[in-house]
Amino acid sequence: MKLIYQLEDVNKTYKKGKVVANQNISFDVQQGEILGLLGPNGAGKSTLIKQMVGHLAPTSGTVCYKGTSVQTQTKRVAQEVAYYSQEPHALTSLKTWEALYFTGRLRGLTKEYAVKQTEELLERFGMQDLRHKLLKNVSGGQKRLIGIGTCLIGFSPVMILDEPTNELDPKKRRLVWDLIQERNRQGVTIILVTHNVLEAEQVVDRVAVVNHGKLLAIDHVSVLKQRVDQRMKLEITTSLGESDYVCQSLSALGHWTQTGENRIRALIEKQNASYAIDVLTNQHLPIEEYSLVPPNLEDVYFHIDDEQDRPAKAEVV
Amino acid sequence: MGEIKPAMQNQDLQFQDTVFLQGQEQQSIIQRRITEWLILARIQFTIIREAWVWIFIMACMFPLTTLLFLKFFTVDPTPAVMTRIITGNMLFGLIVMGLNSMAQEISWQKHQGHFTYYSSLPIAKINFIFANLLRGLIMSVPSFIILAMIGQLAYGIQFHYSWGLVPVLLLTVFSVVGVGVLIGFWSPSHQLTNMLVQALMMFVSFLTPVMVDMNQLPTILQWFSYIFPTTYAADAMREVLISGWSPSVAWNTLVLLLFSLISIVLILKKVDWRVEQ
Repeated sequence: MKLIYQLEDVNKTYKKGKVVANQNISFDVQQGEILGLLGPNGAGKSTLIKQMVGHLAPTSGTVCYKGTSVQTQTKRVAQEVAYYSQEPHALTSLKTWEALYFTGRLRGLTKEYAVKQTEELLERFGMQDLRHKLLKNVSGGQKRLIGIGTCLIGFSPVMILDEPTNELDPKKRRLVWDLIQERNRQGVTIILVTHNVLEAEQVVDRVAVVNHGKLLAIDHVSVLKQRVDQRMKLEITTSLGESDYVCQSLSALGHWTQTGENRIRALIEKQNASYAIDVLTNQHLPIEEYSLVPPNLEDVYFHIDDEQDRPAKAEVV
Repeated sequence: MGEIKPAMQNQDLQFQDTVFLQGQEQQSIIQRRITEWLILARIQFTIIREAWVWIFIMACMFPLTTLLFLKFFTVDPTPAVMTRIITGNMLFGLIVMGLNSMAQEISWQKHQGHFTYYSSLPIAKINFIFANLLRGLIMSVPSFIILAMIGQLAYGIQFHYSWGLVPVLLLTVFSVVGVGVLIGFWSPSHQLTNMLVQALMMFVSFLTPVMVDMNQLPTILQWFSYIFPTTYAADAMREVLISGWSPSVAWNTLVLLLFSLISIVLILKKVDWRVEQ
């Protein structure tokens, strides 16, 4: 299997090294896979992908695309890698069909093919009736879809998508995930940044967890899940203002994380599950409801992140 | 490194390479660049499509105001003074739109992150620059012509129209718009660019030989004047409108060509739009 990207010891710092965006990041991306980059806001994910598309030079280390440094072949990368960024759309003065059609033409498509793909995409997005509407006059979600469409038009062998499902309603999110999977089935290598861990779990082959500018873990979803396969997720909704008390009372079960105003969550050992249920039913704690379920990718992500959070953090962008 | 999912292993990767070439136009590099420029120019045109009336009003308002003010202020001006006032105000319109507006607009696009879209596409930077220059030309030329017509009517003089006016006009616009585009591309921050171009607009319009004669300026301002294309543009415009093409017009036109080329080369060489350090 061909390697598409190879990153070796990539560092990106600002203000003479005082602000660290990426620290010693190394990983490969193989042809035909979907790699998900997960991490909280400010983790350094967007900085990393900007280096992968050649929009940002690393302070040290190398980012290679098909064996050659990205910095020396930015034009080829632009030719082969479709990039969807979080930046505001540059084409707001264009009609929706123009945004897709012109992008297709700039990617080298013939007129006929650009028209054909524009029509297909507008139909998939359910936006045929909005074809003559200016992009600045459509909804935020529709703007996002057209932005994703500008990545899908043409047949780029690699797609890098920075939070493609942000600000989309569930139906449009489903559509975007479907489109991503369809493209991947055609052989497109996809690297995507997302906060939507639960939805990404259904789509990605491998996951890279990034936080504080560091790569915390990278592996297949199933392998990462093994890290917590001896555990169960216990999620509790407490009475209002009682979450601290409940956390203290159940501290022996594991490390509790506040996930909402009166919601707490912990990964507990499987062997302690029956004991936990016994405590919850018999100790008359101020609890509204609880659930005990196997952990999902989001829990794996929080688990990895929690493990790393315990040592002191570096200053990050 | 983990294995790739089974569905992918069965695919013929060479077949995929042909999939990626689907619909690609088979053109020579020159044809490809021309198509690219035409598309970029159409995108730039859409920016002015919606607001062309306001752009036109904006382009005419400042110079028309100063043109009429000078008409009321000057008593019995000589034809030479009248020509200077009219050409000076035509250039003022060009400075407002070609230098000020273009620099601010490109700087805004840059700091809003709009370049990310363009730099993610396989297009040549020079095409993007020329598409921006074309927009500057479209935004500036109408006010340039309208001011010439109104100026003639207001002062009751007749200009000499010749083919020599075409290169002078085009190179005047390109050299001034080129400076605006250069400032916009270079812009380290949008606020700084705003302040810089506002100050530059006033300085170039009123403290270089655009509205006034070179001899009326203090020596230090005369020296500074030589670094602005507007000095040569004002000379060339005035002469070509009074007496047609001459060696002096040719010399000034050549200098304007140099200014245009220098600004394009500086944008190409000094401003890297794809890679930030």
